[in-house]
Parts: sequence; C-alpha cells; structure tokens
Amino acid sequence: MSLLAPIICDNGTGFSKVGFAGNSDPSFVFPTAIATRGPASQSTRSGPAVPSKPGHLASKRGVEDLDFFIGDEALANTKTPGYGINYPIRHGQIENWDYMERFWEQTIFKYLRAEPEDHYFLLTEPPLNPPENREQTAEIFFESFNIKGLYIAVQAVLALAASWSSSRVTDRTLTGTVIDSGDGVTHVIPCAEGYVIGSAIKNIPIAGRDITQFVLNLIRERGDMAVVPPEDHLKVASKVKENYSYVCQDIVKEFRKYDVEPYKYFERYEGENSVTGKKYNVDVGYERFLAPEIFFNPEIFSSDFLTPLPEVVDTVIQQSPIDVRRGLYKNIVLSGGSTMFQHFNQRLKRDIKQIVDRRLDASVQASGSHIKSSGIEVDVISHKRQRYAVWFGGSLMASLPEFYSFCHTKAQYDEIGPSICRRYQIFGSAT
Amino acid sequence: MILLEPHNYIIQTTLAEKCIKPSTLDVQFVDFDGVRFHLSSTDRKTSLLLSMSIRCWDELVNYGVNDVLKREYGAMVRAEPEPEYNVSLDIDLEQVPPEGEERDALIKSIALIKRNVLAAPFELAFQTQKQLEASGSGQGDLMAMHYRDEEAIYVQASPDRVTVIFSTVFKEETDRIFGKVFLQEFVDARRLPTIQSAPQVLYTTREPPLEIRHVPGLIDSDDVGYVTFVLFPRHFINPEVASATISHIQLFRDYLHYHIKCSKAYMHSRMRHRVTEFQKVLNRAKTEVAVTDRKTASGRSMIRLT
Repeated sequence: MSLLAPIICDNGTGFSKVGFAGNSDPSFVFPTAIATRGPASQSTRSGPAVPSKPGHLASKRGVEDLDFFIGDEALANTKTPGYGINYPIRHGQIENWDYMERFWEQTIFKYLRAEPEDHYFLLTEPPLNPPENREQTAEIFFESFNIKGLYIAVQAVLALAASWSSSRVTDRTLTGTVIDSGDGVTHVIPCAEGYVIGSAIKNIPIAGRDITQFVLNLIRERGDMAVVPPEDHLKVASKVKENYSYVCQDIVKEFRKYDVEPYKYFERYEGENSVTGKKYNVDVGYERFLAPEIFFNPEIFSSDFLTPLPEVVDTVIQQSPIDVRRGLYKNIVLSGGSTMFQHFNQRLKRDIKQIVDRRLDASVQASGSHIKSSGIEVDVISHKRQRYAVWFGGSLMASLPEFYSFCHTKAQYDEIGPSICRRYQIFGSAT
Repeated sequence: MILLEPHNYIIQTTLAEKCIKPSTLDVQFVDFDGVRFHLSSTDRKTSLLLSMSIRCWDELVNYGVNDVLKREYGAMVRAEPEPEYNVSLDIDLEQVPPEGEERDALIKSIALIKRNVLAAPFELAFQTQKQLEASGSGQGDLMAMHYRDEEAIYVQASPDRVTVIFSTVFKEETDRIFGKVFLQEFVDARRLPTIQSAPQVLYTTREPPLEIRHVPGLIDSDDVGYVTFVLFPRHFINPEVASATISHIQLFRDYLHYHIKCSKAYMHSRMRHRVTEFQKVLNRAKTEVAVTDRKTASGRSMIRLT
C-alpha cells in the first residue's frame, strides 16, 4: 500500500488550518475554539468528572468528555444553554492542553477522517515556543494518537518556504524576514538559513482585529453605521476591509483624488439584516485606503504604539547579525491574512528602501564622500498563497521525499522519550 | 461526538462550495481504513472527477460492488477509473439540482461513497440470508474483506442470522489493554435491559471463532482479537434499518480506536488535574526561610545577594 499523505496542522490563535500534504489549500479552516459542557474557562478548576457510584463501567460515568464541539460548530453552539466556549491557544501558544488534546481528537477523527496510526504529522509552532511545549505536543501525538512520525516546524520558516511559489523568487533560500500578520498580533521575524534569530524578533500590537475596529470607527463617525443592526457592525466592517481596502502610495494625493471624483472612488456595501431580512447600504469612502494605513502611520489609530511597520522591519534587520542583513533585506516575505491588501508590498518596499538609502547617504557624508556603498537591495515578496502561507509552506515541505527522514518516528520516540522533539533538523540543511 | 459519521466531510463541504462557485481544483485526501480520494476538475471548471482507491477492491468486486455503485450513482460512474484508483465518479456541476434539499441529498450520497462501496458484501449477505431462510438450510459463502494490511472483516449468512467477524490488531501495548476493557464492556453492556435487542457481541483474543477457523493465513499472536457480531433478521428487517446497521457496523473498528483515544485523552486530563493538585500541596509544604536582619558595625542592614 502506498504511503498516505502527511497531515499538516497549523493551529493559530484565531484559526486552525488543517489538511493533507500536496494540496495547495488547507482542507479545513476553522476557529481554534472548543465548546464544552459547563461555563467557559472554569471547568479546569474543578477537574474532569469522577466516577461516583460502583457498578458497570458504562454506568459509572457519563459521556461529558465526549460532549463538545470544535471550530464553527463551537461558535454556533455558544448560544445553546449549558455550553461554554474556550480558546485553547493564546498568543500563538497552547494554554490549555486538555482542550487542545480534545480539539485535535475531533479534528482528526471527525473532520479529516484519518487514522493517526497511518499518517505522519507536521505541526507548526510560533517563534520562541518553549521546548517544554514541544515535548507536551509530542507526548499527546505519540502517546494518545500513536502517530507514525512527527515534525514540528517554526511558522516563519514555513512562510519563507511558501514564498518559493512566487515567480520572482529565483534562489530558494531560507534566509529572509517574515512579516506575519494574522488576527491578533503582527510578528517581524528574521530567519537565517532556516534558524530564527530569536533576539531580534519584534511584535507589533496592530493586526487584523485592529484594522477592523478602525474601519468600524470611521464608518461610525460618519454616521453610516446607523442603518446596520448592532450585532452586524463588526461583520460589515471586516467585509469592507477585506473587499474594498488597498494601500495607497501617497495619502494626501489619494484624499484629493477622492474629493475630485467621489463617485468614481466611493463604493457601496450592500448587506442584509440577518433577522428581518431587510436590505441596507453602507457607503465606503476614505477607509478604503486609510484602513491598511495604520501599519504605516499608526498614530491615526492608537496613541500607544507609534512606530511604523517599515521602521520596525528595519530595526529588526539592523539588530540581526551583520553577515545576514543583506539577505534579510533582499527577501522580505509576507504571510497571513492582514498582509493581503493590494499594493501592500510596493508601499512597504518603498518605505524600507527610503530608510536604508537615507542611512547609506548619511554614512557617505560622514566619511566625507570617500567611501561609497554599492547599495542594498530591498525586496518585499508577495505571492498568491499569502493568506495560508504557513500551511502551504508545510504542505510543500511535507510532500518532499526527504520529509520522512526529518521526522521523528514513533520508534525513536519510544526509545528516547519526549525530549527527542526538542530538536528538529532544518529543511534543506546538509544531512 | 459519540458515533462517527459515515459520510466524508471534505467531499461534502468541497462539493457544496463548488456548486455555488465553480473553480478549478485538485485535492487529495483520505478516509478511514486507508481509503484515498482524489477530487479534481477536468477540462472544464464545472465538471469534477472524484476517484477513490480502496484496499480490498478486488474482493469487493466479487461481492457485487459494481451493482451497488450503479444503483447509487447511475451514470456518474466512469467505466474506466482514473489510473491508480479503483472507482471514479463524474460530477457535472451544471446538472446539479437547484439549491435545496435535493442538492443536499445528492451531495450527501456522493460523500457516502466509501460507505456504499463497503456495504456491498453486507447487502449480499442479507439477501442470502433471506434465500437460506426460505430454503431452510445451508450456509452462505464466507466473504472476507482485507480492508487493512493485517485486519479483515468476514461476513457470513446463515438461515437464521448473519455473522460479522472483525479481526483486530493492536500495535500498541496500551491500546490493547484499553481495547480489551472496552470490548469486554461491549459484551457486558448488553445485559442492561434497555439494549436487549442489540446484536449479540462475542469477543475472543488469539482464538479465532469457529466460523473462520478454517481460513488459511490467520495470524496467531496475542495482539490479535476477534469480535463477532451476530445480526438477527430484526436488524435488517427493512431497508432503513438495514442501511443503518451497515453504516454502524463497518465503522466499528474506527469507532473502537476513536474511543480508545478518547479514553486516553480523558485519562490524561485526569492526570494533569492530579499533577496540579499535587503541586499545590507541595507549594504549601515549602518551609519559609526566616529572614533575620543583620546589621553591620556602622548600623546599616546587610543584605546578602544570592
């Protein structure tokens, strides 16, 4: 029997992307949420149910531990009395292992319909994930599910691998800067030959959720939200963000363009009240280009965080070892849903280029025009698979024939124990 | 989720999505028991090809799987399946009925393809039982399906019953113990008055049941167990009951393994709970180090930096 495809499981804070290696899209994308009996986030304190009375095993305890939903079904069931919703992953790291174990259980058996004994698994982890978490994960997968083999990859490295699908990438390196912007947080992660430079990672507290909030505020201030039922506000705002927004090259010019020809640029969003079925219209104006602008001019949204994204990227690269900086500038890779705005890469490239050129000019001046730099190449790579870049990178890696030799197998795990999963061989490195 | 569902979610969701918005696609995925699927769009966006490969296809052909496929899917079945696969269905999205119950039913029936294919021998056995009952004597053929590398399902019809035997292999020591307890419970649970009408379940380890003792090539080791279900005519009295019985019984192995895993997850959560409890006790037991204030000669207090 031919080997069955490895399973790629990318569990993020907001959404889980799961599917089989070799495909270009994940088979399932659903919220990393689990709805269990009992109030949310309290059941851990009292612990799981204990058998009370003697008798047959079957009558000893109920089936509470089987009574739960995950993903979209979990969200749908939050309104059912008796169920509470829990998010087992916080800030990219697994917080509640009980819920996570059951989340995986249902992912595998209900959605993927695979027998874990027959498959290799590729899981992802955020940068700076403590090795203890990796061991815990390995314990669950090898001991509960008896999987054949496991590889745990760093998300940023997979995002780099996913960028190989772009036609503009000529040499397939694992050196580059990854800008990973999902729902909750934006990371800027430098990678050198498949290794994450942990000391230089920076987070930006602006991501998808904040952009949606910003769009909502703009429409509300204009008074257009009055026609929308309150429970749909966030949904409408996120639809406007996803469907109409783009990054402009010059904000002043863009404002002028809109003022001259408002009918050409203003859009109209049409929605329907989910309860009454009444139709409504929302005008979409300046927020079309203002929404992604908060990455470049954060002061228009928050007063706490004021550093623009291009500056953060530049700082990150400047803090990395000097011998990889050229490679990091040359290969800036985008990943995650919040980097999907049109022209995002061009604007980012231009802004970073400006910062770099300014510094080069300053150093030329400081040397009294004696030393001239040959210039630094800056490139921001945008590709078709950006939204699920991490998952796609995983799919790409796991379909290589070498993948199996990088995995730790069940036999190795049984021999050495969970500590074997502290270290994994980097893809593409010499064996 | 106590029972596993018989239909494949990926087929169901992808088809429903493509009916609304056709686009090119090419995906491969799996189902239980090493079944592989390949769903791809052919020359046009609206025509899809779903292929399935199953391990025991050759055996199933003998038990009339082609008739079952013809009955369920009619003209959709391709005469020449895609290379490397055993059966292919042509799905034309332009001819799918309009949105509503009819379309959902069609999608559901396609998602049930694995179940329908594996149902062939069971249906055959139910028919044979009816014939044998009429004639009053004899035995049906023993139908074997080697649906996994080391495991098989045997189905045999007799005048008054249909016997289904699963051979199970547990690779893992822990799983074997869990499985044993679980299967023992199956036998015991039947004594409860509410489920008296359930099929009779027998469980043996190592020793194959009499029905299949003559079959060559049975593995003789402690890891092997045999589960026998005895289905009486009341379990397939009408087509609805019969199809429910088939759906449940062919997922038995997956059901068993799923619940072994669930039990383990439950045990693990109990263990984690215990560990945190013990940790609390340990933290309470820590003795506090008395801090004595030591003065230097000049009267300032001395703090030792550790």
